[in-house]
Amino acid sequence: MVSLDASEFTTRELNKRIKEIVDDAGSDIVISSPSARHNLVVGIQKECKIAIEGSVGYYAASQLDGPEISIEGNAGWALGENLMSGKIALSRNAGASVGASMRGGEMFIGGNAGARAGISMKGGTLLVAGDSGFLTGFMMQKGRIIVCGDIGDAAGDSMYEGTIYVGGDVGTLGADAKFDEPTEDELIELWAELEAHGINKRPKFRKIVSQKKLYHYDTLERLERTLI
Amino acid sequence: MVMGNNQIWASWTVDDIHSKADLGRYRIRGISTHQRVTHFDDLTFLSTGLTRFPLEGYKEQCNTRVELGGLNATNPLVLDTPIYITGMSWGALSANAKTALGKAASMVGTASCTGDGGMLPAEREASDKLIYQVLPSRYGLNPNHMATAEAIEIVVGQGAKPGTGGMLMGVKVLDEVAESRDLPPGIDQRSPARHPDWLGPDDLAIKIEQLREATDWAVPIHVKLGACRVADDVKLAAKAGADAIVIDSMVAGTGASAEILLDHSGIPTVPAIVLAREALREIGLYRKVSLIASGGIRNGADVAKALALGADACAIGVAALIALNCNRDIPESNFEEEIGMPAGSCNRCHTGRCPVGIATQDPELVKRLDPDEGADRVANFLNSMTMELALLTRSLGKGDVRSLEPEDLAALTIEASAMAQVPLVGTNKVFGM
Repeated sequence: MVSLDASEFTTRELNKRIKEIVDDAGSDIVISSPSARHNLVVGIQKECKIAIEGSVGYYAASQLDGPEISIEGNAGWALGENLMSGKIALSRNAGASVGASMRGGEMFIGGNAGARAGISMKGGTLLVAGDSGFLTGFMMQKGRIIVCGDIGDAAGDSMYEGTIYVGGDVGTLGADAKFDEPTEDELIELWAELEAHGINKRPKFRKIVSQKKLYHYDTLERLERTLI
Repeated sequence: MVMGNNQIWASWTVDDIHSKADLGRYRIRGISTHQRVTHFDDLTFLSTGLTRFPLEGYKEQCNTRVELGGLNATNPLVLDTPIYITGMSWGALSANAKTALGKAASMVGTASCTGDGGMLPAEREASDKLIYQVLPSRYGLNPNHMATAEAIEIVVGQGAKPGTGGMLMGVKVLDEVAESRDLPPGIDQRSPARHPDWLGPDDLAIKIEQLREATDWAVPIHVKLGACRVADDVKLAAKAGADAIVIDSMVAGTGASAEILLDHSGIPTVPAIVLAREALREIGLYRKVSLIASGGIRNGADVAKALALGADACAIGVAALIALNCNRDIPESNFEEEIGMPAGSCNRCHTGRCPVGIATQDPELVKRLDPDEGADRVANFLNSMTMELALLTRSLGKGDVRSLEPEDLAALTIEASAMAQVPLVGTNKVFGM
């Protein structure tokens, strides 16, 4: 295991050092004193384990493919942006756009998530132990968002596919979103996932899915009708 | 002609209203705006006479090589000609078209660019220099692909539809394209207008740093703007850390846009370049942050004029597609039957029924475009443009396209004088100063 004190490095130096360690030795890494700095642990495309002891700023653990990241603290905007594969676990609260456009992997938020959680999500699972904010799942395309608590307004607005599970209340549904009931098997699977993350509650989840009414233009022009 | 020669209720206006009354929504088309705007044809070069002497037009050396984005990147983008192929998606275009464009760019030592749908492996293979776009939709965005790019372009807006996202009708969202974009096959895809992870210019600065960290500060980060509030947008993009700024004007092309956006938003290329140049000059970053112009670039003269006005390079889209055979009556095609319009008039890219295999995903139509032959045509066209550019540059007595300057130009109309900030021909007056 390699320990890195973030306060001794610039962001550039730290990210470069992390990539070197991952490329050369493949050792586990522990980063202390992150001081809520932006852009920590970015662009790693290998399997590795990195623990961050403290809060991080914007774009922490983003553009990753493979790593397993744990963060003891809070995170700013866009934690785990465009995650391809791997795992990210945050112990406390995440800012806006957590898991934005993630395409795979698993993210766990131990506290609450801000606005636009799982926006443009294209795969994987985003699990929020607490509440999540306005426009959760906005334009979501695939994957699962699981929110144990409440969701703010415009939940699932313009989502294409994928599923939002919500254990608490929902402010309002977004455009083209609708409620659905999960099956018993889905609930059992969800509760097992919660238990794996140390959550012993068994919320009676509801599903939010797309109504699919915005998939197509209703009409075509005369000429288009002959062509399309 | 139901209303005679009425200016307000012209025949196409009447037809437009009839169409919308049938349709119940905005109309969609491809190519570019129908508005008459001031363009490069409204400017002319003041070539040499007795005040300065020319270089031999056909023979003497003239440098056309440019370097873009060297402000922060370890490896700036070096192009043998200041003309590259702009971002057009695989989805809007066929895989054969994307491959041909990449190959053509490589043949002449320039770059091509991905588009709203991620990187097509064949395009990467064909392109020696590939610009990787990061768009609001993030369709197909893959950090493994991005790591192979020679430059990254954050798309804030497109000239053909500033303030909104891309559009791809379901007929083009076939299985492979749908899979690449993580979308249900066959849907009428309307891309988001806002990025999912940042909103304002302060956030953009952090986003730019993120992309630099992800790519080890090796390649330039471009920011592409639809030309609207150019001066402020350019300053904000430069302050956020862009190495290059692409100004995409209202005459820029598209495979599909709402007509109302094509015709009623943005500003033309000529004033967009001038406003961007002055904005960069004002903050001390002119010629440090590279300026790339796009929108209606058709020949070497347009490129030369754009460079003289202050651009470092130009990006072409529609012109490259026309070189590829867009709107050409090839033996396999029957435009009237297949697209309902004669060759030369077609702007039906959005229908996916492109008779020449460019703007389609139909397996049979795609076969009408041979990527190798197409690449040869586009490479010829790029070479022609570069020769025209060099010819004009030499005629102005200059041996380097980077030496072109506003003083080389005069305006043919009062409007062009005001927009280009160069004198009206026959006068010493720059209008609007």
